[in-house]
Amino acid sequence: MKRMRRAIRAVTWLLVASFLGLGGWLGYTVYSQGARWATSQMNSRLNVAKKTNAMGDITDRNGLLLATTADDRTRKYSNDPNIRRAVSQTVGDAMGMSGTGVETFQAGTLLGLSGSIIDRTWQVLTGSQVKGDNIRLTIDAELAAYISGQFPSKKQGAVVVMNYRTGEILAMVSKPDYDPDKLTTRQSGGDESGSGYLNRALQGQYPPGSTFKIVTLAAALDYLPSAVDRTYLCTGLKEFGNGKVTCYGNAVHGELSLLQAFEKSCNITFASLAVEMGSKALIQTAEKMGFNVNFNFRDLVLYESSIPEQIPDVSELAWTGVGQGKLLVTPLHMAMITSAVANGGVMPSPLLIKQVTGVGGLPRLRTQSGAYGRVMSEGTAQFIGRYMQKVVTDGTAGKAAIKGYTVCGKTGSAETSDDKSVPTDAWFVGYLDDPAHPYAVAVVVEKGGAGGDTAAPLAAKVLKKAASRNITG
Amino acid sequence: MARPVEAGALRRAVLRANTRLLLTGVMLFQFTGMLLLAIRSDSFDLQAVTFAVALPLVTWLTVKLYSKFWPIDRALLILTLMLCSISLVTLKDIARSSVTPQTQAVYMLAGLIAMAVGIEFMRHVRAWDRWAVPLMVVTFLMVASPLIVGSWVNGAKAWLKFGSGDGALTVQPSEFGKISLIFVLASQLSNRPRFRKCLPALLFAAALCGLLLVQRDLGALLIYFLTTVMMFYAATSNLPVTLAGLGMGAGGAVAAYHLFPYVANRIELFKNPWSDPLNLGYQIIQALIAIGSGGMFGMGLGLGYPRNIPLYHSDFIFAAICEDFGLVFALAMLGLYVLILMRGASVAMNARTSFHALVAFGVVALVASQTFIIVGGNIKLIPLTGVTLPFISAGGSSMVSMMGAMGMLLGVSSLNADDEAEDLRRLEWREGAL
Repeated sequence: MKRMRRAIRAVTWLLVASFLGLGGWLGYTVYSQGARWATSQMNSRLNVAKKTNAMGDITDRNGLLLATTADDRTRKYSNDPNIRRAVSQTVGDAMGMSGTGVETFQAGTLLGLSGSIIDRTWQVLTGSQVKGDNIRLTIDAELAAYISGQFPSKKQGAVVVMNYRTGEILAMVSKPDYDPDKLTTRQSGGDESGSGYLNRALQGQYPPGSTFKIVTLAAALDYLPSAVDRTYLCTGLKEFGNGKVTCYGNAVHGELSLLQAFEKSCNITFASLAVEMGSKALIQTAEKMGFNVNFNFRDLVLYESSIPEQIPDVSELAWTGVGQGKLLVTPLHMAMITSAVANGGVMPSPLLIKQVTGVGGLPRLRTQSGAYGRVMSEGTAQFIGRYMQKVVTDGTAGKAAIKGYTVCGKTGSAETSDDKSVPTDAWFVGYLDDPAHPYAVAVVVEKGGAGGDTAAPLAAKVLKKAASRNITG
Repeated sequence: MARPVEAGALRRAVLRANTRLLLTGVMLFQFTGMLLLAIRSDSFDLQAVTFAVALPLVTWLTVKLYSKFWPIDRALLILTLMLCSISLVTLKDIARSSVTPQTQAVYMLAGLIAMAVGIEFMRHVRAWDRWAVPLMVVTFLMVASPLIVGSWVNGAKAWLKFGSGDGALTVQPSEFGKISLIFVLASQLSNRPRFRKCLPALLFAAALCGLLLVQRDLGALLIYFLTTVMMFYAATSNLPVTLAGLGMGAGGAVAAYHLFPYVANRIELFKNPWSDPLNLGYQIIQALIAIGSGGMFGMGLGLGYPRNIPLYHSDFIFAAICEDFGLVFALAMLGLYVLILMRGASVAMNARTSFHALVAFGVVALVASQTFIIVGGNIKLIPLTGVTLPFISAGGSSMVSMMGAMGMLLGVSSLNADDEAEDLRRLEWREGAL
């Protein structure tokens, strides 16, 4: 009997432990995924709630009204058509066409479903209409409208501006856009192709082109300390395995230092570095910066950036080192990596919601969303920052320079097709090295040609405008 | 020798006094819950008002009468009744018609009778060895019967149907097989048998598992398996054989994954339900959405829409409870199961014979494994297998068999109390004699 009691006690504790695990998992899974499940498009409760509850307002960081519920229960968006279109995918729409918009992703909050038990009891007892919470976003709608106006006409692409210290997204513009007020049925509205509903900043997965050299450079600094002091020779073409790497525009850079190679975005130098350090070092560095990570941010849905988990082929590794190969990134993720460089190696988590206010304008307590984490050492970040500054002063991003500000950046011209007659995607990522204006930017213009010619000048305008609007706090 | 008995008696007296508070709490929950549901609609809901009065009354009477007849563990009884009342309140809220809560109330009454039978049975059963072989044969035939005369329900052939049309009574024999299994294992494994002597009982358990596999009742299969393994370990403390048994179970699961497409389907669905959200993944996704919609404190009783979940009243009632009452309540409810589990285990450890200890522990193992399997399936911790949430899911077979099993546990607790009273009397007699 004594042995049996001991055995029973042991199994009982095991059972208790598994129930603790069960409860722990339940708590964890509701905490981390619950909001996502509740706002799923398959949740018919939201449609029921939309009939009975008044959805809360959405404003920009300055209090500018972006979406509200009219007395006739229809949803009304900003009166200014330019603003309406510029923030269309960010704010979303009543039809849920833009699946990652605040209207959809935060529907539970806007409909008051996640309100406190006291509010709910009060509303049930008084029989008053349930009024959802109001959301103040971190974006500056007028900056977004400015970006939208400056974006090359008839081109597609995305621009993200974020505060690299706090992670607040100040503007997120995706082209083409659509007019949420003109949607009457799920079928009509928007542009003809229908791709206007896509938020390219969050959902667009692009080859990063030479902007990825920031990652390759970080890996080289960690794994090949001697890379800094060497000189490299660029003859315009070099064979790797059974493939060959060329420089953009078939340029021949001749003999250059690592800094000059970065300034001029020499493919051959960075391909050689990638091959020399090996695929493991490059993949590890990229994954540390968030590649292949299923992001689970509080405020928004960000699609995954990807790098192959193994790159056995040498020529593919060489191309991966210069940002081609099978790499894919989202513009926001590229802005986050740039922010990490600007922020001393700590990558911020992107924030889109400044404040949620409930009945009577009282702010709701929200779970804090800390930084994503340190993705490179402070020394590496400062080193890359210095290099990026030189890219603007002496290199390919000359058109990104702004008088009176220190701009650091990196251009990219990413090939999207084997057909050389298809123009490259024009990329620019960069930031203002200015404590008063800590803004990072990522620009993609699809089929825009050279990053230095198309994306860099747009980024300069955007950063200058952001600085002049003096967005802080 | 005198002191521990005195201390034990004192502790029990204190615990018994505390159950008054527990009972009041349960009755208050029943009353307020049903009253809230009664004022939910504009029209007068006679059923809810009736429940609001009758449910606390029945609970109070049950606790008073049962503990008057038998010296049972009151806390265990009250905790079980609390789970039954969560069942009635939830079903009253979420069911489409008033028939479901009404039949569930009838099942609960039937369960209370089954509980009384279980208590009486455990108090009087002697010569359990002689029961074992006939019981094995009967149970095997009973669990096998749906294969011959049964009908497919929700992808499993585990049901017997009596009568026809709407009034037909369906019975799930495997629910009652659980009780036989516990009894047979307890009788065969008591008194520390050598491994060879355990074999008939283990083969019996394995044969039942085989039948359930053919019936595609994977949930019941898992419960039978886990209960057997836990009882075997408790009886023999034989860790190598227990681990080997678990290994064989895991091997069987892998084999089943490759052999039976319906098992592989379950696993695929578990890994990525969002791949087919409208068809195969529909159930689990709607359950997760309901849990997410409930959030911390729930949508509120009567304010949720758990009917969007398929099988919201049986397999997915946990998700429905999460939606109505919220995460905090659901965690507290899991806490109730843990309390029952620990309380039941202490009954098992206080039992005077290894047979009684094994019966009590078998019931604990059964309730715990079944609860873990269905809750874990609801929240996508483990692949979903359709079993009922003990004492809560709608359904007669489950309610009656679980209450019967709980009655056996309570019966053991009453025997323990009798024995302790006897000890105390002898002690007093001895002290008086001195």
